[in-house]
Amino acid sequence: MNQTPPTETSADDLQTAGDAAPPSGGPAADSRWLHRLSLLSVLLVWPLIWVGGLVTTYDAGMAVPDWPGTYGYNLFLYPLSTWLYGPFDLFIEHGHRLLGAVVGLVAIGMVVAAVVERSRRWVRWLTVGILLAVISQGVLGGIRVLLGDRTFAMIHGCFGPLVFALCCIAAVVTSRTWWQRRRAVSATPKPLANWVVVVAVLPVLLSYLQLVLGAQLRHVQPATTPRTFTLIVAVHIVTACVLWLLTPILFVLVRRCGDLTLSRPAGWLILFVGTQILLGTGSWIVNYGWPSVLDFLPFGEGFLVRSKGFLDSIIVTAHVAVGSLILATSAVVLVQTLRQKYLVAHESN
Amino acid sequence: MRRARFLLPIFALAAFCGCDVPVEQYPANQLHALVVATSRHVPTEVAAQDSAAVVEAWFGTPIRPRWPVDQMSGAAAKQLVDPDHLMRAAGRVYSDQQNRHFGLFNEHCVTCHGVAGGGDGPASLLQNPYPRDFRAGVFKWKSTHRSSKPTRHDLTTILQHGVPGTGMPSFASLSTEDLQALVDYVIYLSVRGEFERGLISQAVDTLGYEIERPDPEASLTTLLDPTGDSPAESSDAMQVARQLLDQICGEWVDATAEVIEVPAETPDDAESVRRGRELFHGQIANCVGCHGPGGNAEVATLDYDDWTKEFTTRLAITPSDREAVKPFRQAGALRPRQIHPRKLSDGVYRGGGDGDTLYRRIVGGIAGTPMPSQIIAQQATATGLSQAQVWDLVHYLHSLSGVHSLSEDQVEQ
Ligand code: HEC
Ligand code: HEC
Repeated sequence: MNQTPPTETSADDLQTAGDAAPPSGGPAADSRWLHRLSLLSVLLVWPLIWVGGLVTTYDAGMAVPDWPGTYGYNLFLYPLSTWLYGPFDLFIEHGHRLLGAVVGLVAIGMVVAAVVERSRRWVRWLTVGILLAVISQGVLGGIRVLLGDRTFAMIHGCFGPLVFALCCIAAVVTSRTWWQRRRAVSATPKPLANWVVVVAVLPVLLSYLQLVLGAQLRHVQPATTPRTFTLIVAVHIVTACVLWLLTPILFVLVRRCGDLTLSRPAGWLILFVGTQILLGTGSWIVNYGWPSVLDFLPFGEGFLVRSKGFLDSIIVTAHVAVGSLILATSAVVLVQTLRQKYLVAHESN
Repeated sequence: MRRARFLLPIFALAAFCGCDVPVEQYPANQLHALVVATSRHVPTEVAAQDSAAVVEAWFGTPIRPRWPVDQMSGAAAKQLVDPDHLMRAAGRVYSDQQNRHFGLFNEHCVTCHGVAGGGDGPASLLQNPYPRDFRAGVFKWKSTHRSSKPTRHDLTTILQHGVPGTGMPSFASLSTEDLQALVDYVIYLSVRGEFERGLISQAVDTLGYEIERPDPEASLTTLLDPTGDSPAESSDAMQVARQLLDQICGEWVDATAEVIEVPAETPDDAESVRRGRELFHGQIANCVGCHGPGGNAEVATLDYDDWTKEFTTRLAITPSDREAVKPFRQAGALRPRQIHPRKLSDGVYRGGGDGDTLYRRIVGGIAGTPMPSQIIAQQATATGLSQAQVWDLVHYLHSLSGVHSLSEDQVEQ
């Protein structure tokens, strides 16, 4: 697998960005198409994660038994009317596949744009990594269907957010602000300490851990013991709180450098994780009923769980999608932090 | 082939994460085996093992459930459950182009109720009350007498309405066909579970199972021998097993005849509510003893439901004694949890709040819980209530929560 994890990416950055960075304004103009396509991928992959989440929420993963075709049709040739007016399960499952295929095309476009626009070398590798990740994700989804296997559904669900995070990173590193930071930085009074990087890495790791734990709960196997399930729930909740406590710390730390491209996403992170905790509580309630620990709230009395209710499905699916958003945002914060440190190091040289 | 090699690391990952092996066997009821062993002071390993084998031979597996019509004598019992429905409800989760869903129990119920319907699914421990253990054959929210089985209609209603205030969801969005398949599967799991429990008890009590198997006449292994035709047919073990199955199925068949009759409602006026309040706080019904004055639930109670009592108080074990309970927890029991009488003033009724249902609730009590049934006499006596008095209680309950007590069909008129 040729993914480029964010940390290595920036290590590369240190070596090559200096020589590959043409004078002001140049690179932004040069990778204009790559940037546009990266943005497009971000705008497509997030909905794709929503639809994928809905597929699981509605247990529609096995609504189409074959793959890569749909009921014997080529993916793109499956009759529109049967798709749109057929069962809802088939609608979202086939829609998920179609949208996934479009993302694949965009990923190809990104590689082409990166090569044609002669992007920095590591950015070119990033786009290749994204393409490979998208392809693997498609194949994983296919295996899940062909084997009818919920474990693969879980792996498929854990890998999707990585693809989304990579697309977000691509969009950030090809943006104009990535280069314009250079000027802003010279005015920066305080450089970031080394351990700020550590604080920035933690949310990435923790939010991914949360995604994996969440997937374990969502795709729980019938034979899992109640104890194991309870333990996973406990770890999931504790990690959520730790992560939320961490985000304001990170925000305060990165704000010191006075750069909005850095502190803004760090601020969103606080909001996202807070929202996510509410959504998580909501997901528990709509799946398993009003928990005894919340009995002190007046409106839980006699709460009725509704299987596959519309609003309920939206809450659960939003919990999944915001999870990816948190991972991607913390990845962006990390990449920006590394960038900041790199620039400061260069200025002072 | 090359593609297969490409998949290798993924398979390795799957193995690492704990692969999705479909559950091939119903988990054995170790808890009941331990309860029998503790109460009889007899080892039950062999009895449990042989019982499980017989149950699997007769009832099949979670992938291929089977309804043992060949072992039943009653015609109605044979039709109690539709084998096609069992196949729809069991097995792998998928759906087809007509949006018919398969593996319904695995899709909707298994995380709470567990593979064998033992109420011990992965998410069970975090719920209060715990999901129902169908294997005991005891149900709370039904229209029948306390010791009777619920009717199909009762089960369907529960699936449609859910149980508000608990984890049990409403499955109103499912088609009637799906619901019927699930009801069949619940009955199947319940009969299967009760049969397994009964067989373990009988093996020890009647057939003489101890550390070792009894002589062949009484050994349950004779039921497993595919070639054993005539000797097995008349063996003690076979008779015991068939009788047990007939008895359990008979109770399910008879459920419709066991529905508690509801007499015409008496006038719901202030006078009736006043009488109801008196009865509620009075000696005979003594609802106040559990539910508190005005149903405010402010009475200190210490009680457990029957599913918990089975492995605790009935074996002279204190439920809060962690050490004593530990072996039972290891055999699959959930942590003992107190049951509390309901606060009656907020109008939340888990089993339904219309007049007829509450009438039946008061008469039948709530099976499996401390809430007792009432003796109903033509005239009010020193120990029993009259029908009119039960209606008074219903009217009083409704007045507590501010709900008027017209039953649903009266509203329609
Ligand atoms: C989120 C957990 C959960 C799920 C999912 C769930 N149940 Fe339940 N179920 C419960 C709980 C909790 C109870 C106990 C309610 C009580 O004691 O009042 C229960 C009780 C029941 C009862 C017993 C009602 C009675 O009269 O005693 C039946 C039957 C039942 N469930 C069937 C099902 C079926 C069939 C499904 C799947 C279609 C299902 N349940 C899914 C949690 C669940
Ligand atoms: C021995 C204690 C006890 C007594 C006596 C008792 N109850 Fe209960 N009652 C309970 C318990 C425990 C529950 C909760 C059962 C559950 O939800 O599993 C309950 C639940 C109820 C409910 C709620 C049913 C529902 O659908 O949610 C009603 C109504 C009720 N009781 C009415 C009465 C009335 C009326 C009387 C007097 C005739 C009475 N109870 C006497 C223990 C008692």
